Amino acid sequence: MTQTPVMTDEIALLEHRLRTVSKVMTTKAAIAQTPKELVWAVNKAKLYRYIPVVPPQLRHRTPLLLVFALMNRPYILDLRPGHSFVEFMVNQGYDVFLLDWGVPGPEDKNLKFDDYTLEYMPRAIRKLKAITGAEEFSLLGWCIGAILTTIYAAMLPDDGLRNLLLLTAPLDFSDKQKLTFARWTDEKYFDVEKVLATFGNMPGEMIDYGAKALKPVENYILNYQKLWDNLDNPQVVEAWHSMNTWVTDNIPIAGGAFRQLIVDLYRNDRLMKGELLIRGQRVDLSRLRANLLTVIASDDHITPPCQSEAVLTKVGSRDKEVFRIPGGHIGIMAGSGARKLTWPHIDEWLAKRSN
Amino acid sequence: MSADQDGGSKPFDPLGPFRGMRDAYMDAVSKAMVEAVNTEGYARATGAMLDNTLAVSAPLREAMEKSMLQVLERLSLPSSQDFATLADRFTNLEMRLDDMDAKLDRIEKQTHAASPATDEQPAKSPVQDPKAEAEPPARKKSAAASKPSTQKTSPRKRTSGRKAI
Repeated sequence: MTQTPVMTDEIALLEHRLRTVSKVMTTKAAIAQTPKELVWAVNKAKLYRYIPVVPPQLRHRTPLLLVFALMNRPYILDLRPGHSFVEFMVNQGYDVFLLDWGVPGPEDKNLKFDDYTLEYMPRAIRKLKAITGAEEFSLLGWCIGAILTTIYAAMLPDDGLRNLLLLTAPLDFSDKQKLTFARWTDEKYFDVEKVLATFGNMPGEMIDYGAKALKPVENYILNYQKLWDNLDNPQVVEAWHSMNTWVTDNIPIAGGAFRQLIVDLYRNDRLMKGELLIRGQRVDLSRLRANLLTVIASDDHITPPCQSEAVLTKVGSRDKEVFRIPGGHIGIMAGSGARKLTWPHIDEWLAKRSN
Repeated sequence: MSADQDGGSKPFDPLGPFRGMRDAYMDAVSKAMVEAVNTEGYARATGAMLDNTLAVSAPLREAMEKSMLQVLERLSLPSSQDFATLADRFTNLEMRLDDMDAKLDRIEKQTHAASPATDEQPAKSPVQDPKAEAEPPARKKSAAASKPSTQKTSPRKRTSGRKAI
């Protein structure tokens, strides 16, 4: 006699679980909610300023510009309220700007690192300076954004850059054995010209496949298993939903930039060797003199730690520091531990150098 | 799961041992897969697969592009290449406008600095009130009028291209 209600409960629970799965798999979470204003735009690139919440007299004097990678949306830096690096930094009194590269279209297939670092970044920074009145600024580059900020810092060392923060920066490509991407994109197996001739830009889906295939079981099975096991935990479901929204929102990389990434960096390690040419000029890392903080994720499978270490021996900065954190490529900034470990350290380092 | 959250005593989970076995198995498979994808064999296989896909799709794609181009030409419609060229020119224009905007900013700043100190505005602070910058001139004026002694106002008056998000 008691079997029927139990069965009904089980069915109701299963229905609820399936409904939750369906919701988080088919809808987009509310992300990037920190209030901001658009202050500059050229082509697809946009510069946002987050509305300060700290009174001007208590704010840090040096504004902070965030530069994210080319192949994902930058809102990972502002994922959701309470779990947003941007929100945290704004609350700490920084004047925070975000350079969003936008989605390159077929017309942008020839965009290269040269354009991003010598056309777009200097203009966005000029606007940042005009708005804030500051002559100096801090730059935070994450992943390929760290490549761009490093090139910029070395090419234009007198542009007012005071502090440079590199997060999981893939700069050193010398140790091919540790780089799965380097193996996959070796010229023996991967014809970059054929791919770009076909697609123009490197499609976001292919980049996504590449990133996920580094850890196929985690990304294609365990990720969903984690969701299923925690469907009764709203906090986990909410976090999973917002992260899934970001992970599945892939954008292409402009063809020219992708070619440089593969040929100049992954295959020939030209940045570290001092052979990388940007607009015909050699990128000399010793010209980079800004205060430097390199954040390394010790379990990073996309940018292994060996890729971010050597830059410290090459730059001309006197004030330089490495900060190693247990965690993965994205987890160190957007994971549950980021708020306790990574963000406070970044704030502590930057605050001393921002007034 | 909910018992875990409550922090109370855990009820007996008949599937617990199976879950443990499952996790151990998946962990082992995961490690094996990470090693498998990090081999020359995997790189060769995926490279060959990509090459074949591109080789098969290339003739079809070329034929499509040619026929599409012919259709567009006959209809006197611009092709994607035309749009790309146009977009390039727009970007160049945008950059020139941006440079001009910056020059105007500089001139405005210099003019303001060179003008006699009739208006007793405070010196420009490195960190300004964002609202003073964002508000249109008329609203800025009224705000300044309401707080003449404390409000820091920006010498810039043009506020084009700024949208609240």
